[in-house]
Amino acid sequence: MARLKSNYESSAWARFLRWMKNGSGRMERDMVRSLEAEALPNGRSEERQQAIDSAREEREKRDRDNERAILDKLQSWSARRGSRLVRYAYRFAAVAICLAVIYVLLIAVSEEPMFGQADNPVNNEVSARYIEKGVQETGAVNIVGGMILDYRAFDTLGESHVLFIAACSVLLLLRMNLDKNGRPTREKLDAEADDRKYEPHNDVILQKVSNLIVPCLLLFGIYVVLNGHLSAGGGFSGGAIMGAALILYVNAHGLTKAGKHKLFGATVFKYVTFCALAFYALAKSYSFFMGANHLDSHIPLGTPGNLLSAGLILPLNIAVGAVVAWTMYSFYTLFRKGDF
Amino acid sequence: MIAWIQFIVGALLISVGVVVLALSVFGVYRFNYVLNRMHAAAMGDTLGILMVLGGLIVMSGFTAVSFKLLLTIVMLWLTSPVSSHLIGRLEIHTNEKLDRHLKEVKH
Repeated sequence: MARLKSNYESSAWARFLRWMKNGSGRMERDMVRSLEAEALPNGRSEERQQAIDSAREEREKRDRDNERAILDKLQSWSARRGSRLVRYAYRFAAVAICLAVIYVLLIAVSEEPMFGQADNPVNNEVSARYIEKGVQETGAVNIVGGMILDYRAFDTLGESHVLFIAACSVLLLLRMNLDKNGRPTREKLDAEADDRKYEPHNDVILQKVSNLIVPCLLLFGIYVVLNGHLSAGGGFSGGAIMGAALILYVNAHGLTKAGKHKLFGATVFKYVTFCALAFYALAKSYSFFMGANHLDSHIPLGTPGNLLSAGLILPLNIAVGAVVAWTMYSFYTLFRKGDF
Repeated sequence: MIAWIQFIVGALLISVGVVVLALSVFGVYRFNYVLNRMHAAAMGDTLGILMVLGGLIVMSGFTAVSFKLLLTIVMLWLTSPVSSHLIGRLEIHTNEKLDRHLKEVKH
């Protein structure tokens, strides 16, 4: 960076670049230039200009022809020999890389301890503590729920933020064609109509079945979210079920009918995700503030096995479920070029 | 005695269902065109599932497990034909060379 320009011009790299650029035509060009210089003093100005122009055209044409000839030669060579060479090299490299990777993986597997041994590294004091004292410390019967939302809740907070950030960037990227008043432009509407040409419109069978199924799916999703600390499930899986139910509803009835429910607009999405994540962050910072081990957090754990137990896990599950459900739905509607 | 009858009936249902499922998988790989494949796949999704889960219901008797299995059957019978219907409809709507695949049926 600190190199001066004059130094750069005379450096080896710059000379190499100049040589690459000018190539073998340089000598000819010098000759032409000297001829031009000889022709210059005698002629009149127009003739001189004409001569210079024609000389330049000729020169450029010759350069182009040279270049094309070289390219043709290269191409024919690569068609005859080069491609075969590259193909062989490619095959050889692919087989070699495969063998190398297989070798490395097999070595790694053979170095691992046997499955199910008592002295394996996974059977350490951490997992022993989770299993032995998990119910007592977190109040969650579901050990996995207790782990991801209590012992390792900071990790889950990051995951929820990843979802939120992804949804925000999709919003930024796909909600573009809006005019000053926030309404979609003509182009966007045309593109959407073009996209929907082959969609099934008002399919009665799908509508009836989705009317039957969507409430059950939503209820099931809510059940999975609320029972995250009691049985298998939790915020992510329950939120995914609810989001899938909403997507099914949109597929069956179209965005215009679903869009009438303002519950699933962009504004509500923003408020819900923001509130859920803010609540999550506040709850987590509270528990960090209280010592980060939940032993003295003054939140009653309740009886393990009851619905209202396990302290903060239930509200955190609800927050995560809301974020996941709304994010899934908004992704779907945005990528469908919908009026989200 | 009743337990034996339950077991035999359930095993028969399950084996018939497995045969149907195997036939549907075979059909999915044997046929080339979407609608034909859909025909083969729908057989496994409805009849095969019904047979297998019905066998399990018969085996487990009147319990909560069999009620859940019944709900699974209802769910699959509701959703799978609808998805096949949508796939077929999409194919009819979008395939421009549909005539090539359809033979004229002579009565």
